[in-house]
Amino acid sequence: MLDIFKKGEKLLGIQSGKRRYDLPLDRAEGNGFLKALILMMTLLGVMAFAAYFVLSAMADRWTSGLENKATVEIPAHTVDGDPVESNQITAFTQSALLVLKNNIAVQDAAIMQKDDIQKLVSPWLGDNANLNDIPLPGLISVSFKDSAQPDIPAIEKELHEISSLIRIDTHQSWLHDVLRFTGALKFGSVLLLSIIGMITISAVAGAVKSRIAVHKDEVELLHLIGATDHYITGQFQKHTAFMTLQSAGAGTLAGLIALFLIGKIAGSMDMALLPDFSMHTGHHITLLLLPLFITGLSAFTARITVLHALRRMP
Amino acid sequence: MIKFEHVGLRYGIGPEVLSDIDFTLEQGSFHFLTGPSGAGKTSLMSLMYLGRKPTRGLVTMFGQDIGQMNRDQLAGIRQRIGVVFQDFRLLDHLSAFDNVALPLRIQGKPEKEIRNNVNELLEWVGLGDHKHVLPNTMSGGQQQRIAIARAVITRPRLLLADEPTGNLDDEIGFRLMNLFDQLNRMGTTVVIATHNTQILQKFKHSKMILDSGTLRIEDAKSKIMKKLEGVF
Repeated sequence: MLDIFKKGEKLLGIQSGKRRYDLPLDRAEGNGFLKALILMMTLLGVMAFAAYFVLSAMADRWTSGLENKATVEIPAHTVDGDPVESNQITAFTQSALLVLKNNIAVQDAAIMQKDDIQKLVSPWLGDNANLNDIPLPGLISVSFKDSAQPDIPAIEKELHEISSLIRIDTHQSWLHDVLRFTGALKFGSVLLLSIIGMITISAVAGAVKSRIAVHKDEVELLHLIGATDHYITGQFQKHTAFMTLQSAGAGTLAGLIALFLIGKIAGSMDMALLPDFSMHTGHHITLLLLPLFITGLSAFTARITVLHALRRMP
Repeated sequence: MIKFEHVGLRYGIGPEVLSDIDFTLEQGSFHFLTGPSGAGKTSLMSLMYLGRKPTRGLVTMFGQDIGQMNRDQLAGIRQRIGVVFQDFRLLDHLSAFDNVALPLRIQGKPEKEIRNNVNELLEWVGLGDHKHVLPNTMSGGQQQRIAIARAVITRPRLLLADEPTGNLDDEIGFRLMNLFDQLNRMGTTVVIATHNTQILQKFKHSKMILDSGTLRIEDAKSKIMKKLEGVF
């Protein structure tokens, strides 16, 4: 008999420490809409974070190893488009290498072999590109001393004495453009995350305000029987936090599944120029912390909104 | 214990519904608040349970000026007051048990203590077998008993009841009046707004008579003394 009684109490949620909210918040209209909105916002948040991580990785990949470095090119064609003899290219390359090695600002200079060129062009042409059919220029990879400030025009002038076709590329101009482009895209991701945050805050604040208006009599009653603002706020805050955690958790899971699928599709396309979609542990931890962050943001928004509304009550 | 000095209340820019209300309620006293409909009984009760702030005058509760209190201090004062509202004001989504337990939960009492006290009180008001029932499926009388149980569960220092016997039959009405009497004897100050002449006649306590927003106090003892003076 006692067991039946206890079971009944458990079902009704009045067992020790396990009771329902004093306010009927879990039955409020609009809970479904808010849950769906938070789920979608979290999913978008995961995508925006992933875009930020991928763009950062892309910028790092493109810029890594290019600082304090230059490439000297002995073109395979003249300015008129006529092919240059390969023997001549080899001779120009050897002379240019000698000039570079004699420069005090140069740490190291090395002629790039066919394998090196293959690696260099693989982001554009893929790992399996056949270079035998392509007339290859002579390329010298140059690294400058860390403290040195190389006089590029003077080096270029010396190289032009060997051949006016020889060019020196410090990568700075295209590197600047690439960084600016990826920077703009990263800013877009951050902006998107901010908008997602603002929409979440607005939606939670609106839902909480509407609930206070709907349950004004019940809130007033709690006040009249001695509930502090902190107690009433706690009810809204706990309910919002629990609801958000459920939705944001589901949104993160959906986002991770979407990223996994995108990664699979991109991986099967064999386009080396595209950024790598794989994320490291730090990125995964950030994404897994996202629902907790959104939950905290929602709970804090609910708290501030309720406190603000309660101060206008007697 | 409770002191009203030159208290006035008006709603918005309308006329004063209560004017120059002056009275003092001593700890452990028992009072009936009576008067014709529209005299301002519910308004005066709402000032006493801190549901409204007076538009003028000074209200002192338990030795503290309520005008100087912050919101948390006001909540602390309200926890010492039990209120039976005329319209009961039960929470429809909570069971009878949870409605009665609400003031104890707000005060952070342990769940075991809550269960024991609430079960005991529900038995006492004759609703021991209704504790899992939702209020909106109960009769008016049953709802009223739940409202009364909620008001007295914390053994308040001040009990305010607005027409607490209105929906009850005479037997239960008198039984509940005896409960209020018992609480009063344990030190609770009781103020009951009522029109019930039988109760007013049976229980000889002082009367606070409100008429057109002004208050007059008729002391039971002085009335008895006047009667005795007439006899001798």
